[in-house]
Amino acid sequence: MYQINPQNEDKHLAMSLLTDETRAQIDQWLAKYPHDQRRSALIGALHAAQDQNQGWLSKELMQAVAEYLEIPPVWAYEAASFYSMFFTTPVGKNKVAICSNISCMLRGADKVIKYAEAKLGIKLGETTADGKITLVKEEECVAACVGAPMMLINGHYHENLTEAKIDELLGGLS
Amino acid sequence: MTDTTNQAADNMVSIEIDGQAVQVEKGSMIIEAADKQGIKIPRFCYHKKLSIAANCRMCMVDVEKAPKPLPACATPVMDGMKVYTQSKRATDAQRNVMEFLLINHPLDCPICDQGGECELQDVSMGYGRDVSRYVDSKRVVKDEDLGSLIATDMTRCILCTRCVRFLNEVAGTDELGGIGRGERTYISTAVGQSIKSEMSGNVIDLCPVGALTNKPFRYKARAWELMASAAIGMHDGVGSNMFYHTRNGDILRTVPQDNDAINEAWIADRDRYGIHGLKNQADRVLHPMIKENGQWHQLSWQDALATLVEKIKAYSGDDIALYTGNYSTTEEYHLLQQILTQLGSKNHEHRINVTDYSVTDRLPRVDVRLQNVSQQQKVVIIGGYIRHEQPILNHKIRQAWLNGAEISSFGPLKFEQNYQLLHDFVGNQVNWVKQLASLAKSVAEIKNQFPEGELGEWVKAQKTDEDINHLAKQLLKDEVKALFVVGQIAQSHPQASAIKAVTAWLVNITGGQLNELSAGSNAAGAYLAGLHADGDIKTKEHRLNVVYQAELQDFADPAAIKNTLTNSDFTVAFNAYCDDALKSRVDLILPIALLPELTGSVINNYGDRQVTTVAQKSPGETKPGWRVLRVLGNLLGFNGFDYDDINDVLVETEKYSISPSAIQQNCQINEPKAKGLVLFAKQSIYDTDCLTRRSAPLQNSPLASADTVFVNDKDLLSIGFKAGDLVSVEQDGRYAELTLAVSDDVPEGSAVVNMGRESALNIDAANLCVSIIGVQS
Repeated sequence: MYQINPQNEDKHLAMSLLTDETRAQIDQWLAKYPHDQRRSALIGALHAAQDQNQGWLSKELMQAVAEYLEIPPVWAYEAASFYSMFFTTPVGKNKVAICSNISCMLRGADKVIKYAEAKLGIKLGETTADGKITLVKEEECVAACVGAPMMLINGHYHENLTEAKIDELLGGLS
Repeated sequence: MTDTTNQAADNMVSIEIDGQAVQVEKGSMIIEAADKQGIKIPRFCYHKKLSIAANCRMCMVDVEKAPKPLPACATPVMDGMKVYTQSKRATDAQRNVMEFLLINHPLDCPICDQGGECELQDVSMGYGRDVSRYVDSKRVVKDEDLGSLIATDMTRCILCTRCVRFLNEVAGTDELGGIGRGERTYISTAVGQSIKSEMSGNVIDLCPVGALTNKPFRYKARAWELMASAAIGMHDGVGSNMFYHTRNGDILRTVPQDNDAINEAWIADRDRYGIHGLKNQADRVLHPMIKENGQWHQLSWQDALATLVEKIKAYSGDDIALYTGNYSTTEEYHLLQQILTQLGSKNHEHRINVTDYSVTDRLPRVDVRLQNVSQQQKVVIIGGYIRHEQPILNHKIRQAWLNGAEISSFGPLKFEQNYQLLHDFVGNQVNWVKQLASLAKSVAEIKNQFPEGELGEWVKAQKTDEDINHLAKQLLKDEVKALFVVGQIAQSHPQASAIKAVTAWLVNITGGQLNELSAGSNAAGAYLAGLHADGDIKTKEHRLNVVYQAELQDFADPAAIKNTLTNSDFTVAFNAYCDDALKSRVDLILPIALLPELTGSVINNYGDRQVTTVAQKSPGETKPGWRVLRVLGNLLGFNGFDYDDINDVLVETEKYSISPSAIQQNCQINEPKAKGLVLFAKQSIYDTDCLTRRSAPLQNSPLASADTVFVNDKDLLSIGFKAGDLVSVEQDGRYAELTLAVSDDVPEGSAVVNMGRESALNIDAANLCVSIIGVQS
């Protein structure tokens, strides 16, 4: 079991980089867990911080979240680098994540990815020149195998993808 | 009696491993039972001193009735369980895991420092395949610079997370983490900083592969070329057990030796990297040297000792004084004491780290043995930064905190601790002592009983506040005894005797326990040999001074000792090192060996007498101190100096009996004058002795101090300089040129000077009044 060690009391990054709204949201997460298990509030807190920053987390922002939660900064980097819904480099306005896990792969996810890449002129992990769309580098199974192949657009599920459907979905993004 | 046996039996379960019946504690894991029985199960992530991660999957074993192999490190024992570590299912599982672990491992053993002592290498010999079936490209991880102590080759990492867990659970600094996911995971600080823990080097021993290795030792030798010699740590009073690894008589590295009663499986970085000071030969004395008309000349041992004898004979005993450091062997102290006694001199002092000589020397009182500190429930630290004074003791206090203990501290700085403090009473060197006295007042008021005499008057005169009253109530609450730890800051404080007296009173009235910390690795040996005097012998100017294994920087009041040595007729230094500052004040230098080059006994803070053995031959014409003293005794015509070898002296020092004497309560209270800024003469972790000061890896690490004076931000205006300015710290008309720095941890009105450095040789810890002025030159 991990230990919660005393942290630097300096909170100037947390107070200067996180907006009032973000801090209020983090407070809600913090209220859900006992103080010595405040690490549990980390994912909610990182989401709140990411939302205030055009969809990505800078090192300073992750450090600010850690400061605010009074946890080691490296825990914030660990979580942010682990989960595919956190972005540690700048991203486009819309995040398109095509599942490439086993069920989707068997149902043609590779073709979907190739088609989307060709259509947008970017590779997975890249952002279109107009800054509108980012193709998320890697998306693991999100439990929608019944509708494989599928993709997530800004967190919303779109299943049973065909080329026509992809055209429609990607074309509709602004 | 029967009850306890039954209880013990209730708590045990019987299991069978590879057909052998084992009795083990309920709740323990299969791997612990197997280790107890001496049955080897391969493992990488499991370590007896760390939490269980079960992420390497190497320790798979076959358990009867289980549907699949189970990890031995994370499977609790159950009564009647039958475990097979060598069955086909078990070995198949282990082989498969091994194959996966090796997929991304570079197999660069020929150029890897870990080669030959690598757990991965050993286990793959047993469980790996001859030829890899893996044909795809391997993962590569970029290396990080973790500082001057730890070398990284992160591509070799197998993600066991021992280092991550060590820094979280033991060191408490949380500097490493697993970044990324799946096979792209890598261990990193994520921000690219050096590791700052005072125990960081232990991750090297923990790393089962060559990902984290000893940086100064890199590419120096192969494990099989090394000889191990058992040794005792030289830099603090813990007396950590360790091994020096030598090749051709040259110490190349230090590793810990397990001793659950003392250092468990760890050593402090100071003990690990201190030996690199030995490599710094710039001012190592290699031959006896004498100063004639301001010029230094080499001379033979014979001539040097003859000169010394002649000088000694010219003076009466009273004219001769001895100052010794606290990191020599008891045997040297024993012989020194014999010589001084036969010369008729009582001026011999090992308390060179002390500024208050008003009470007689005694052994530190130690009520709680090191291994029991982690079971304490309340700890009060008085004038000590234990983390830097005795890192291993601090580790035990941290263990106590992790078990729920309440820790409080009194001191002149807001120290960075790896445990939370219930109360942190920070004041300048005058004020924190007053706060301690006000704690006594608060306790006295509750108990309606004050200390007697002057101490009582002093306590009565203090003001209490809410926090102090709270701590007083906590100390008196329940039946739980508090442990009071008196640190080095208190020991070298001008009011040391008052601090110790009031603490002893507090211990007594609250039914608590007391541990007093001593300086160096062998202060107890020097005390038991009798190397202490009445009062401060520096104040009387002796004609002939002897400095024994001490540098000016080792003195709490270097300015005073400089003065004393300058005003004498003749000074002889028995030293391994002699820098220019000392050289200009001595007339004869006799090179003697340091602890790693010696066999002898050291007695730690806790009264354990341990024998350390010679690991490396001392350079040049350097001789072991006891041998020089033996010959000197003979030349002086004294009796009792016909020892054949060190064992004859060890027989004598073995007779020393360790019995602490009572702490004087009737001390005088002299509150130190405080005018201008109040000095805190801070002893930094790597400025403790001649080796740490010269060890390049330690001096380049983030915990090393600098030639700075720290003040509080709020004092800048009245000081009239800004941070980064070169200033003079003035004390009694003497100046120390230092860089001004600002820290919130420093209380207002305080000036913190790093002692133990050449830059602070003009500062006396005895005098608390300093001012900061412009550079005087």
